[in-house]
Amino acid sequence: MSARRWVGTVLMALLLPMAGCTGLPAQTPPTETTPKVLHPIALGPGERLRVLATTSIVADVVAAVGGTRVEVSALVPPGVDPHAFEPTPQDARSVAEAQVVFENGLGLEAFLGDLVQSAGTGAPVVSVSVGIEPLRAGNPAAEGETAARAEWDPHVWLDPQNVILWTQAIEAALTALDPPGAADYAQAAEDYRLELRALDTEVEAILAAIPEGQRRLVTDHEEFAYFARRYGFEIVGAVIPAPSAAAEPSARELAALEDAIRSTGVQAVFVSSVVTPALARQLAEDTGIQLVSLYTHSLSDNSGPAPSYLALMRLNARLIAEALAG
Amino acid sequence: MTDLLAWLAEPLQYAFMTRGLLAALIVGTVCQVLGAYVVLRGMAFFGDALAHIILPGVAVAYLLGWPLGVGALIAGILAAVGIGALSQRREIKEDTAMGVIFAGAFALGIALLSTQRSYAVDLSHILFGNLLGVSTGDLWLMGGLAALVILLVVAFYKEFLVLSFDPVLAVTLRLPVTFLKNLLLVLIAVVIVTSLQAVGVALVLAMLVTPAASAYLLTRRLPAMMALGAALGAAGAVIGLYLSYYWNLASGPAIVLTETVLFFVVLLFGPSRGLLWRRRAATA
Repeated sequence: MSARRWVGTVLMALLLPMAGCTGLPAQTPPTETTPKVLHPIALGPGERLRVLATTSIVADVVAAVGGTRVEVSALVPPGVDPHAFEPTPQDARSVAEAQVVFENGLGLEAFLGDLVQSAGTGAPVVSVSVGIEPLRAGNPAAEGETAARAEWDPHVWLDPQNVILWTQAIEAALTALDPPGAADYAQAAEDYRLELRALDTEVEAILAAIPEGQRRLVTDHEEFAYFARRYGFEIVGAVIPAPSAAAEPSARELAALEDAIRSTGVQAVFVSSVVTPALARQLAEDTGIQLVSLYTHSLSDNSGPAPSYLALMRLNARLIAEALAG
Repeated sequence: MTDLLAWLAEPLQYAFMTRGLLAALIVGTVCQVLGAYVVLRGMAFFGDALAHIILPGVAVAYLLGWPLGVGALIAGILAAVGIGALSQRREIKEDTAMGVIFAGAFALGIALLSTQRSYAVDLSHILFGNLLGVSTGDLWLMGGLAALVILLVVAFYKEFLVLSFDPVLAVTLRLPVTFLKNLLLVLIAVVIVTSLQAVGVALVLAMLVTPAASAYLLTRRLPAMMALGAALGAAGAVIGLYLSYYWNLASGPAIVLTETVLFFVVLLFGPSRGLLWRRRAATA
């Protein structure tokens, strides 16, 4: 084998595994803390602001605030995991045609940077998570190596209080881009915030059925930190101990999780509707606990059980209460 | 001693590790029954090609929600028969034809999977295996296929032997050469499918070739080669799985690396053909 081929082979061997791990850990604090300066876009009569949102959940909230003045579409289709989403050329076109892009931020949309660049768009990318104090991903108690690999937990929307902050960021961005709509946006955002507060109260009431000692969660990956903090749950562990489902547990991590499930007596493992639950299903069978599928990263389609963010949160709360209160 | 026993027993208290170990053992042994033929007939490239050609079958099964093994099996058998037919023709050299089909089919598989758009995770399982996710159903399928392969190899043992060592004699004896060749290809396809869950498309070749290559350094008798290969394959599978547990490595690559190390150990220190002894004999 010639030296060049040898180098090629080694490079391939190094590159191939990377196909599985999208999303590099963020080394610096998220840029979401500073809002972008947005310039007004002149819209013709009857023309609506073309908005692209990354996930169906972000799109739903943007649509609630934007009302009839905006035209919202979602990049990641329902039922697809945004962590592992692979954009196609068609998606680059959607980005190029949008006048503003709303993202969740905090490392959820690992695909977005390259996509925006390849679309060559001048449209601003706005993170709806501006103003949210992000939690660090992983075990907060971990020091040293884990803490040095600073990564943020992007699953802010599982706490409705954070979505209230989203509506403020969305309202501010839409108002800056489309000043004539300011009053409409303010009204719609305020109406939606009322619904979000009612949702928060309702979720809390549903979850009240779960006794103190059973408020423990096992999930497919680390996605429930904000939810757990808001509603008083303890996270026992995750099948994939990472903030993205696009990772693999090692045998020992899986073994440690089985031990934790047995010692805490958790009754269920919750998996996101967007991931293949093979490992979680095995784990549930081996430990004799329930496997419950939740909508955490994506809405269902319109005929499904979680066609909107509000429906999604209510459904999840009910399913969690049913699984853990028994 | 008790320490060693505890070290050995710790992973086995988890059902997923026991299943993984059983799967690794099945794969490590059954691959060798055919690995011997693959090494003797110089079919390593064919094995690699076949493993990659299976991908579109896996992808279609994945998209339709079938068990992946079923899609892989259908694609593998079709590919084996197809390559068998292609290699009868004279316009294109066999390895060129395989190269064309191998790359084309692999690309088709990835293209099909990419319609799913969050395929990276599942693709990595197909490419690199997922020994921790072996279910009881998978084990039954693997065990059934392995039994079928061993049964057929035993039944056609003499015919395969003649075909591998003396193709001319096989024709003279009026053996159904084309049928036998195709049967061998199909059996290799079945074995590859059996190994998919353990080591994945990208590494399955190692399970087929590496222990058989080690065995070939130690003996030239076919039954001994099969037995030795199976022993080495099983040893590599078990050691590799334990290393992956204690060193936090992915299990498929850990098994393949162990097999590879075993090969080099045999190459250097093997009793009669070991490089080390030969060097010493030369200088003495």
